[in-house]
Amino acid sequence: MNSIAVRATADDIPITREKLSIRGLSFFYGDSKALHGINLKLHERQVSALIGPSGCGKSTLLRILNRIYALYPNQRAEGEVLLDGENILRPDQDVNFLRAKVGMVFQKPTPFPMSIYENIAFGVRLYENLSRAEMDDRVEHALTKAALWEEAKDRLGTSALGLSGGQQQRLCIARTIAVKPEVILLDEPTSALDPISTAKVEDLIDELKRDFTIVIVTHNMQQAARVADRTAFLYLGNLIEEGPTSMMFNNPKDRRTLDYITGRFG
Amino acid sequence: MAELTMGAVQFAERSNLKRFIATDSFFKYLTRAAAITVLAILFGVFVSLTLGAWPAFRAFGLDFLTVQTWNPVTEKFGALAPIYGTILTSLIAMLIAVPVGIGIAIFLTELCPRLLRQPIGIAIELLAGIPSIIYGIWGLFVFAPFLQQHVQPALIGFFGGVPILNQFFAGPPYGIGMFTAGLILAIMVIPFISSISRDVFDTTPAVLKESAYALGCTKWEVIWSVVLPFGRSGVLGGVMLGLGRALGETMAVTFVIGNAHRISASILAPGTTISATIANEFTEAVGDLYTASLIALGFILFVITFIVLAIARYMLSRLELKTR
Repeated sequence: MNSIAVRATADDIPITREKLSIRGLSFFYGDSKALHGINLKLHERQVSALIGPSGCGKSTLLRILNRIYALYPNQRAEGEVLLDGENILRPDQDVNFLRAKVGMVFQKPTPFPMSIYENIAFGVRLYENLSRAEMDDRVEHALTKAALWEEAKDRLGTSALGLSGGQQQRLCIARTIAVKPEVILLDEPTSALDPISTAKVEDLIDELKRDFTIVIVTHNMQQAARVADRTAFLYLGNLIEEGPTSMMFNNPKDRRTLDYITGRFG
Repeated sequence: MAELTMGAVQFAERSNLKRFIATDSFFKYLTRAAAITVLAILFGVFVSLTLGAWPAFRAFGLDFLTVQTWNPVTEKFGALAPIYGTILTSLIAMLIAVPVGIGIAIFLTELCPRLLRQPIGIAIELLAGIPSIIYGIWGLFVFAPFLQQHVQPALIGFFGGVPILNQFFAGPPYGIGMFTAGLILAIMVIPFISSISRDVFDTTPAVLKESAYALGCTKWEVIWSVVLPFGRSGVLGGVMLGLGRALGETMAVTFVIGNAHRISASILAPGTTISATIANEFTEAVGDLYTASLIALGFILFVITFIVLAIARYMLSRLELKTR
């Protein structure tokens, strides 16, 4: 039917409990409505991909899950997003606490203007008071998890801006996992990277889903097929279809999904 | 007929082209001349300062920089008091203006409601546009008496019992003096520092701030750990430009500093600065050595501000490299 190789079949996906449950979610940029009543469930220790053409609202949806949109005064969300049954959109939700549980990695690598070590220790210090030795361990653990330890261990004190783009992105992932979140949001994490770095990050995602619930936005369908257990297709602010990745790529129910994954638009 | 027309067109084009080339090169030389004029003026100022100051440097040598005496009657001149006054007033100004200026910039870029942003920004730019003579008369007639009656007695009383510090805040409250001059300079320099810092903070990439927020940082943590370090060299450049202005400011300082050629431990005491000395005394400078000494003061100020501005340029160029 199509040539995209799908890694997992529907039967391979372990059955896990719901981590995030999105109910009747709409989103507004000022007066323009960007999402129309999205209903979607994201499962624990799975990789869920959000795909769709540019402007479909996939990044917008991701940015609701840690309420990073709330930095901007004219953006607002309606509906419910339940994290372990708690609505994170309620006004009294502590956003700093939420963002400790829901980490995010951005499209472009965003190392802070400080050393490699400090980039990781900085986030940890926001929540925990660790001794020097404990912090060293945490930094090493995070960098090892992010497959960066071997490359970075001899230059932890040097500026993170001296790393290559791919290394910087893995540093950002390390920084995110160092604060021990439960959910990791990845917003097109490889779109600024070369193919080798992309492959490393994809391997890393595979590794990370043992411990974390991962939501990835990607405009690269092969990537969704390679890394995601489940895939959701958004179009013009609507959730068109959602299901196991193999089903979405081999046997989509909706005509528009089929058109998109076969490259007829987008 | 067709051939003839073509020829005419070609001819017209060619003569046009010639004209274009002529205007082009004329324009090039005109602008080049303008640019060279600047260099020539700078060089001319440097040369005439050096020549004018030469008699003083020859008479006093390096002592000119280390002697406090300034006696027109015996023609003994030393620049230490004005140099000290210039540096001290600028230091007081920077101690106040740097935190306030950066604070204004942080408020405007990170915390200010959108509605207030522009009015405050414009007010700060207007503050920069007030002529220094106005700061001078305001300082002399309004600000200095206010300090004399309310602020300085309180400072003297507060630090009176503190060892070491009480020496800096000693003596009668004159109103005018180094401290007052420093405060006026701070007010004059704040707009420079805040508007440059604001522009620098505005260049912090939104996604960098977002990723700090995404880690769970509070606003304060984002500002302190991301925005400030990111803008460090640019802010330093702005501070240096402000310092350059504070060092050279003449009119406002002359009004409020008291014009006393001595170095006092107390920052409340009257003093003088290089530019205030020159402005006050050049009309009454009789005798070549007196004039030469004033010009020598100017030369020293020229060198100090040149160094400060050179450092500022260097800092700003490093910022451009980083954000590219």
